[in-house]
Amino acid sequence: MEVKCPVCNKQRNSSMKIARHIFGTGDKSHRGWVNSQGVSFTDLLIAQAMEAGNRGFTTLAEIIERVQETA
Amino acid sequence: MNNDKHTVVGKRIPNVDGYEKVTGSAKYTIDMVLPNMLHGKILRSPHPHARIVRIDTRRAEQLPGVKIVLTGKDTLGRKNGIWRSYRELCDEEILCRDKVRYVGDAVATLAATQEDIAEEALSLIDVEYEILPAVFNPLDAMKEGAPEIHDGCERNMNVYRQIEWGDVEEAFEDCDHIREDTFYCSSQAHACLETHCAIASFSHDRKLTLWTSSQSPYYTQVLLSDMLGLREGDIKVLKPHTGGGFGGKLSLDSAQYCTSLLSMKLMRPVKIVLSRAEEFAATKRRTPIHYQLKLGAKRDGTLLAKKVRAITEGGAYTALGGTALYLTGFFSSFPYKYPNFQYDGFRVYTNNEATSACRGFGAPQANFVSESQVDMMAEDLGIDPVEIRRKNGMTPHHEIPDQAVIQSCGLQQCLDAIKKYIRKRGELPPNHGIGVSAYGFMSGGIFNWIDTPYAFSAAMVKINVDGKVDLFTGATDVGQGSNTTLTMICAEELGVHLEDITLHVGDTSVCPVDLGAWGSRQTLMSGNAVKMAAAEAKRQLLEVACYYLKPNIVYDLNIKDHWIHFTERPYRRVSYFDVVKDAIRGKEGNPILGYGHYTPHGKGMVSPAYSFGVQAVEVKVDTETGQVDLVHITTAHECGKVINPIGLEGQVEGASIMAAGWTLTEDMQTRDGKIINDNFRDYKLLLAEDVPKMTLLEVDTYEPEGPYGAKEAGEGLTIPTGAAIANAIYNAVGVRIKDMPITPEKVLRALEKKAAEEKDSEQFVAAASA
Ligand SMILES: [Zn+2]
Repeated sequence: MEVKCPVCNKQRNSSMKIARHIFGTGDKSHRGWVNSQGVSFTDLLIAQAMEAGNRGFTTLAEIIERVQETA
Repeated sequence: MNNDKHTVVGKRIPNVDGYEKVTGSAKYTIDMVLPNMLHGKILRSPHPHARIVRIDTRRAEQLPGVKIVLTGKDTLGRKNGIWRSYRELCDEEILCRDKVRYVGDAVATLAATQEDIAEEALSLIDVEYEILPAVFNPLDAMKEGAPEIHDGCERNMNVYRQIEWGDVEEAFEDCDHIREDTFYCSSQAHACLETHCAIASFSHDRKLTLWTSSQSPYYTQVLLSDMLGLREGDIKVLKPHTGGGFGGKLSLDSAQYCTSLLSMKLMRPVKIVLSRAEEFAATKRRTPIHYQLKLGAKRDGTLLAKKVRAITEGGAYTALGGTALYLTGFFSSFPYKYPNFQYDGFRVYTNNEATSACRGFGAPQANFVSESQVDMMAEDLGIDPVEIRRKNGMTPHHEIPDQAVIQSCGLQQCLDAIKKYIRKRGELPPNHGIGVSAYGFMSGGIFNWIDTPYAFSAAMVKINVDGKVDLFTGATDVGQGSNTTLTMICAEELGVHLEDITLHVGDTSVCPVDLGAWGSRQTLMSGNAVKMAAAEAKRQLLEVACYYLKPNIVYDLNIKDHWIHFTERPYRRVSYFDVVKDAIRGKEGNPILGYGHYTPHGKGMVSPAYSFGVQAVEVKVDTETGQVDLVHITTAHECGKVINPIGLEGQVEGASIMAAGWTLTEDMQTRDGKIINDNFRDYKLLLAEDVPKMTLLEVDTYEPEGPYGAKEAGEGLTIPTGAAIANAIYNAVGVRIKDMPITPEKVLRALEKKAAEEKDSEQFVAAASA
């Protein structure tokens, strides 16, 4: 299943990969979009850095899926 | 390739500036004195994190001999940083205006007629600080509620970088065995013999001349221009001989900036030499890194997937830390063909001295952890350490998706050479062990940090009427021998003798722009520019020679030993000197000029070429004290065509010992952010007596992108030693140390733990069988 970046429309085959793309790009517009979803870009990034597992990125991946479904 | 064709390249040539250096006649910035020169000093913060409430300079100014005292308020208030296109990463004022962020941050600078007066005056500056809470560990700095070191930088997250190809999660499901390990790599001081220093002289025509110890006079010129509000062309940077750099003299430093500020106010030359304590506390250092690694393999040793998470301690400022963060990720995949790879790197600000480039630029750290883990994986799978490396090792024309294409690669031959060496070494004495590590490194980075429109390297060759050649290059010799390498390339290409060439370096007003000495770039990048410039000058001579020799169009001409001749019939020839004279007459009296340049294009994200090698280190471990002695270091190495074997040997030996010191003894100890072993008595560099016998096994390769097939042989050689030592210790006494430095205490504790576990295990077996 192709998933699109809600900011720049980049396509990847999973929401996790789009979440990684959003953090990897990290510019003002991608950062702003994450923050507009009721979560903090920095907090999720730091969760990814500090916690075992992938909570930071999976949280964003779930948001991306939700947004894609409702689009 | 026929090596015999070369007359200069590949020969053992002593350094062109060797005589001056060994006789002590070479002049370094630190030696220089200018007429009417003042001496500057810098007042540094004793606090790791504090707001500057007030600075009272009056008492210092009243001291006889003091000419001026400046603070951050006397600057333009600009922030220095090498990523000029990313202003948020330009975060260092150098002379702080409102806040200090580490012990050593500069708060004031002054100039006086004598150095001791300047020193005394520092103690007369009264600074009132409001001390702020500080944080020293990146893991603490990311926590909610941690002190915010830079305003607006939430939870001190400075830079995040990721690299990915394949699908690691899917691939881990196909693995027969997975290892997850954590490691820690410690910091290291550059420890240059010549500390950072500069002399600035600002004249009434508003032009600034700066003599300084620098790895890149061009970067110094550009960054100073930004900070001082002068045009680049109004700043001339001169680099005399330089007493080491190792990555520490790449950023604009406080000596360069403060001398310039002072001289601009006073219109007199001002010199600042950092003390050894300042050199430790207030320059930059190797990046310490916490790693989590997950490595998955098939039963036969095929490495299928690797996932790396790195948290690097940034210290107070960005400096070149973003590149170290990226490269430690990229080189975590080296030198293997991982089909699936994922890297997440986080650089975090702390209230320590900033971390930045240091010989190997993140790759030695990546290699220490990765090659330790590969050995652990080999043991788990019951596979010989050399064989697991051979099975997965890179080969020529390997492509790293979206990142790089490896053209030449002699890794497999290096592994063969090391295997042969180990076999020949035979059985080792008790408590001796050999550890192996394989690596690869770049030949210069494709990183245009400062966003220059110039070529990455350029050179100019001028042939004069007497046949003598002037070679102008912006390349920077910081002791690694690039002056010799580039002179050799010029002589080879032009067909003249080394003594025919006068090298002009270290002057931004006359030398073409070159990005300088970093990322092992001078031989390939500057070498290509010099070769091109020499070839262009040579072409002009051969045009004229055609009138004399009238060759059939199918024949080539060449220059050798001051004769221009038919390549295949050297007896048909004309004097080089005669042709030079006629060529100059034909150009209306102008000398012959050749211009060359090099910028990598279409070579991926990282580098145009990569060198490879395998190192075997033999150690002896004293099980009573935990002391690790180096017995022998054997390096099988390929760097394409070796331009100068003497230079290569020097690099192998120096790099291996620098890396061994980092691994075993060098430890920057801090208390509340202050480095407490800021001298060469307490900071333990390895000494001559610690240096073991070393053997270099050179493997022949040819790199099509490099001059005469050459590629890097500088920083890369610092990469394998750390892991090779850790693996050797394990091989010797069965303990695995995963956090650096590997001190005797850590080895001893690990041996005690191992003995206790073995005892428990014996008791368990005895109880079970009773
Ligand atoms: Zn996007």
